Amino acid sequence: MSVIPDTVAVARASARTRAARDWRDLVYPAVAIAVLLAAWQGASVAGWLRPVQFPPPTRLATSFVELVTEGYPEGIALFTHVAITLQRILLGYAIAVALAVPLGLVVGRSPALDALTDPVASFARSIATLSLLPLAVVWFGTGEAAKVFLIGYGCFWVMFSNVVAAVKSVDPTLVQAARTMDVAGTALFRQVVLPAALPRIFSGARVALGVGFMVIVGAEMIGTIRGLGALIMEARTFYRTDITMVGMAVIGVLGFAIAWGLERLEAKWLPWQARESRRGA
Amino acid sequence: MATLASPAVPATGPGVETARSRIRIDRVGKRFATDAPDAPPVLGEVSIDVRENEFVVLLGRSGCGKTTLLNIVAGLEAPTSGEVRVDDEVVTRPGRGKGVVFQQGALFPWLTAAENVAFAAKSRGLPSAERGAIAGELLALVGLAGAEAKYPFELSGGMQQRVAIARALALDPHILLMDEPFGALDELTRIEMQNELLRVWAARRKTVVFVTHSIWEALVLADRVIVLAARPGRIVLDRAIALPRPRARTDADVLRLYESIWGALQ
Repeated sequence: MSVIPDTVAVARASARTRAARDWRDLVYPAVAIAVLLAAWQGASVAGWLRPVQFPPPTRLATSFVELVTEGYPEGIALFTHVAITLQRILLGYAIAVALAVPLGLVVGRSPALDALTDPVASFARSIATLSLLPLAVVWFGTGEAAKVFLIGYGCFWVMFSNVVAAVKSVDPTLVQAARTMDVAGTALFRQVVLPAALPRIFSGARVALGVGFMVIVGAEMIGTIRGLGALIMEARTFYRTDITMVGMAVIGVLGFAIAWGLERLEAKWLPWQARESRRGA
Repeated sequence: MATLASPAVPATGPGVETARSRIRIDRVGKRFATDAPDAPPVLGEVSIDVRENEFVVLLGRSGCGKTTLLNIVAGLEAPTSGEVRVDDEVVTRPGRGKGVVFQQGALFPWLTAAENVAFAAKSRGLPSAERGAIAGELLALVGLAGAEAKYPFELSGGMQQRVAIARALALDPHILLMDEPFGALDELTRIEMQNELLRVWAARRKTVVFVTHSIWEALVLADRVIVLAARPGRIVLDRAIALPRPRARTDADVLRLYESIWGALQ
């Protein structure tokens, strides 16, 4: 039978195109960024951009070095800001995921609970998380708890909705197939519903993390001078646009790096799914 | 109501002991809760006896209730009236030796081909080593030796259905229920799979109920073709096909049967 050699050939061909795509994946964005930075620098040198509004890339580079070595405000180095911000995001995110996954799994399996919680979830999701900032301060004060709460709130509802949807969208034929194999009850849930829902749960986890990174800047606006959000606000107050921009870029790079890490994790834990989506891409 | 049954298929009843009746569908009716009360039911009163190792094909247009009937036999749906007995036991739930092959395979995408088959073998309470051996053996039987470690998405539609058949066989079922298993395949693959199924069926004799809307498929596969009409779902033809296999589509007997089945479908 020629079926199997055929698949091998197909796999080899797709491995080749994948390698070629990986190479382009790196070069194209690099070229795009280089062109943008060069144009920016050129516009600054020509005097078209005011440094206080758009400091040139070279200035941002020296500000970055200043931030790493001396810190801003004086004595609080970039590493400290990053560590504190990451700690807040990951704590709020971890609590949100730890609550949302089990709750979402239960609610997704029960049409009654789903009908009950759906309006609450829709409403809670549509409240802009940062509009809760004043309330968070009233409830938790201006310390760490308020910041972790805001991040957790934003992440929780996104995660919860995705887990519920993941369980509800499990192909009913898979469940039927399992039932024909005498698999029922908790075994059915563990061995069929859960693995079938995992890809969507994972993509929910990625989206929720993005929410955490969006909320952090606002959450760090009050009661602290440490953390990347605080850094941005503080620098803005003193017209250090350069520091604000470096802070923004660091947040972007962090978020990107963590999302990439989650993707690698997904590829490792859900090999069927990662390969499927890579093939589809 | 074996109205048009040919002499080759005796009505089962007291005194008729030619072959044991594996599946007895007894005046099964089905009405969905969502149907209007005055609408004709999906299934009227359908009765069919399927004998041991018989290959029965249910044939009909979309909406004639053939899949519903198959699901009732599988225990995946409950009849509104009547009952189904498999080996004299009333069917109330799926499992228990009733292997099902679904139209789209319904393989677990997170398991490899071998793991999918072994998953089914687990329900028989076999130890893990034995499950692996059975998976390898059954995949070889369906012509997939060497593809054990592949995930379903790495397999073509035809290969996925081969795995689905191997998985159903891993239950070591008494009966095999197949719901348009080749309906989503291209014509050439479909013919290949029909031959393959007959080869597997010859190796592992099972009582088979096979749903299709292809007359050719019915004629190539069946010991007996049962044609259903829609709303209410009812039997309009029950015909034994006593021709030797493999059957050529150009065979005069096959063509004559094609005409009479086509007539029944009008």
